[in-house]
Amino acid sequence: MADRIFAGVLFLATVAYAIIAFVSISAPFQYDPLGPESWPQILSVIALLCLIHILWKPDVEGLEVNRATAFRLLFMVALMIVYAELYEPVGFIISTILFGALTARMLGATLKHSAIFGLAAGIGGYLLCAILLDLNLPEGELVEALLEMGGT
Amino acid sequence: MDTILTGLGTGFAVALDPFNLMLVLAGAFFGTLIGALPGLGPINGVAILLPIAYSMGFEPASALILLAGIYYGAEYGGRISSILLNVPGDAGAVMTTLDGYPMARNGQAGRALSLSAISSFIGGTFAVILMTLFGPMLATFAVTFSPADYVALMVFAFASLASLVGKNPTKTLLGALIGLMLATIGIDANTGVPRYTFGIPDFLAGIDFLIVIVGLFGMAELFTLVEKQVSGKLDSLPVDNSFVKMADLAKSKWTIVRCSFLGFFIGVLPGTGASVASAVAYGTEKRLAGAEGHLFGTGDVRGLAAPETANNAAAGGAMVPMLTLGIPGSGTTAIILGALLMFNIQPGPLLFTQQPEIAWGLIASMYVGNVALLLINLPLVGLFARMLTIPQHYLTPMIAILAFVGIYTIVGNPFDLLLVTGLGVFGWFLRKMEFSLAPVILGFVLGGLFENNLRRALSISGGDWMILLEDYKSVTLYVLAVLVVAIPVYLQRRARRMEGDPVSREDAND
Repeated sequence: MADRIFAGVLFLATVAYAIIAFVSISAPFQYDPLGPESWPQILSVIALLCLIHILWKPDVEGLEVNRATAFRLLFMVALMIVYAELYEPVGFIISTILFGALTARMLGATLKHSAIFGLAAGIGGYLLCAILLDLNLPEGELVEALLEMGGT
Repeated sequence: MDTILTGLGTGFAVALDPFNLMLVLAGAFFGTLIGALPGLGPINGVAILLPIAYSMGFEPASALILLAGIYYGAEYGGRISSILLNVPGDAGAVMTTLDGYPMARNGQAGRALSLSAISSFIGGTFAVILMTLFGPMLATFAVTFSPADYVALMVFAFASLASLVGKNPTKTLLGALIGLMLATIGIDANTGVPRYTFGIPDFLAGIDFLIVIVGLFGMAELFTLVEKQVSGKLDSLPVDNSFVKMADLAKSKWTIVRCSFLGFFIGVLPGTGASVASAVAYGTEKRLAGAEGHLFGTGDVRGLAAPETANNAAAGGAMVPMLTLGIPGSGTTAIILGALLMFNIQPGPLLFTQQPEIAWGLIASMYVGNVALLLINLPLVGLFARMLTIPQHYLTPMIAILAFVGIYTIVGNPFDLLLVTGLGVFGWFLRKMEFSLAPVILGFVLGGLFENNLRRALSISGGDWMILLEDYKSVTLYVLAVLVVAIPVYLQRRARRMEGDPVSREDAND
């Protein structure tokens, strides 16, 4: 059943892909026999055939994810989206401290250990990646302001 | 022969440069560390470390050498969790658990680990030697390939992928198609027409290869870890002081030789990598052991040496089509191919003549990497084994943080972080639906090459599709493609008729 639903969603996406390939992509002028639309057209047709086969003969019964696990997964995805959104505005250090601590807490670490882990990941990670390896990580406006105050 | 020797000379000059030598060692070390993390397979480890290695801004040759080191290290690290935890890091390591874990349980963990290190070393070195001999030959032949032949080669690669990898051929094919379709996003290079960009400027240049691999492998793996999360840490067997004996090596020496050959040639086949090789090697050796076959699975040294040797020989074999034809033989070589493309290096027949320092530097660094791993792993295995005891609730956020650092440092675009999370969710669903992810990545990497060769072939013929069947090389490849699909189906039918044990095929993510 889960197989059919997933294949159905993919089917709809592929139909949309095919419609765009057959209707909207076209080059204003071209010298080659195959334009930019031909390849996506071929792909979409074969993909649709595969999907029909899967819809016809599905082989995975269910997702087999219980409610608690599903909730944990959703929460994890939500945490990562928030982490991604905060990455630039508040900077690597603060966003990583929050993300690290919350994730560790959610996955079963004690409150104290999660806090220590978050702080270590945020500060240690920044020192290691930005200072030692010279990678480009966002400082965040807050930290920038603090650094400027310290500098002047 | 002369070209090979001069080539090796060039290669070792690059690989033995002190800075590059240090990179191989560092790569092997960190690769082993991340490969040994429980539940994180080598391909996921490579995927997570790749953007960071890329952002360090090394010369192409140095960066590739670092990558090769990480790849080798991660492959090795995966063995540690197979043997001590009974948790295979990837499909190629499933066979290793069969005899490796029983040995460790019998109090011979050190013996199992050192034997696997030595057989990996022999298999890997053997494959690199064969590659040195055959690679340039194949490259010389491949120069004569026309665009139409390339199309045929690609069809063959996807046919063997669909037939040999994964349980359901339709799903494997669909996975490859999803990869090919993802590759069409962005501006078409021939006409400048944007395709599937939906006006989002971040999509104009196409989806970055790094984002796809970190998303599909790293992030999807992360969600799987969260899903299967068990509280606390896994039980790891202790590493003891036992060590491989001469008698073990004497007992398994022919196994190692046979499996080196077998693994290499299976690895050369496009689409089939270490997982198929180790399964075939294990099965063959078990049959050859005859009356002693029943000892396999209870901690037989040959049962451990066979998949370990074949695994590494196949990893080397898979590099041959990748370097000489530009067609990767497995998921992991697809990642290395993508890494080469990021440095604007197009692997293929001309690589050996146009950029010998890259091609031969990579080969030479594989020799060095093999030796380095043996030297690092025999004494330090206890240290790596400690990685197994990191609790899941720290490991999971650490993987996410590492992946975000890697992705953000590519171009500093926070949109990529959301994209990678989205692809991770998609990859998790694909895995739950029993799709293997290796075909997706193979399709994504080969998409541009496939399309361009098809268009070029038809431009040459003025739109006549018959050009695809004109050359004997293309026709041979199509025949091979049909055979590779037909033979397993035939064998399966026959096996079912004879009511022998069903041929089980493992899901491949190597």
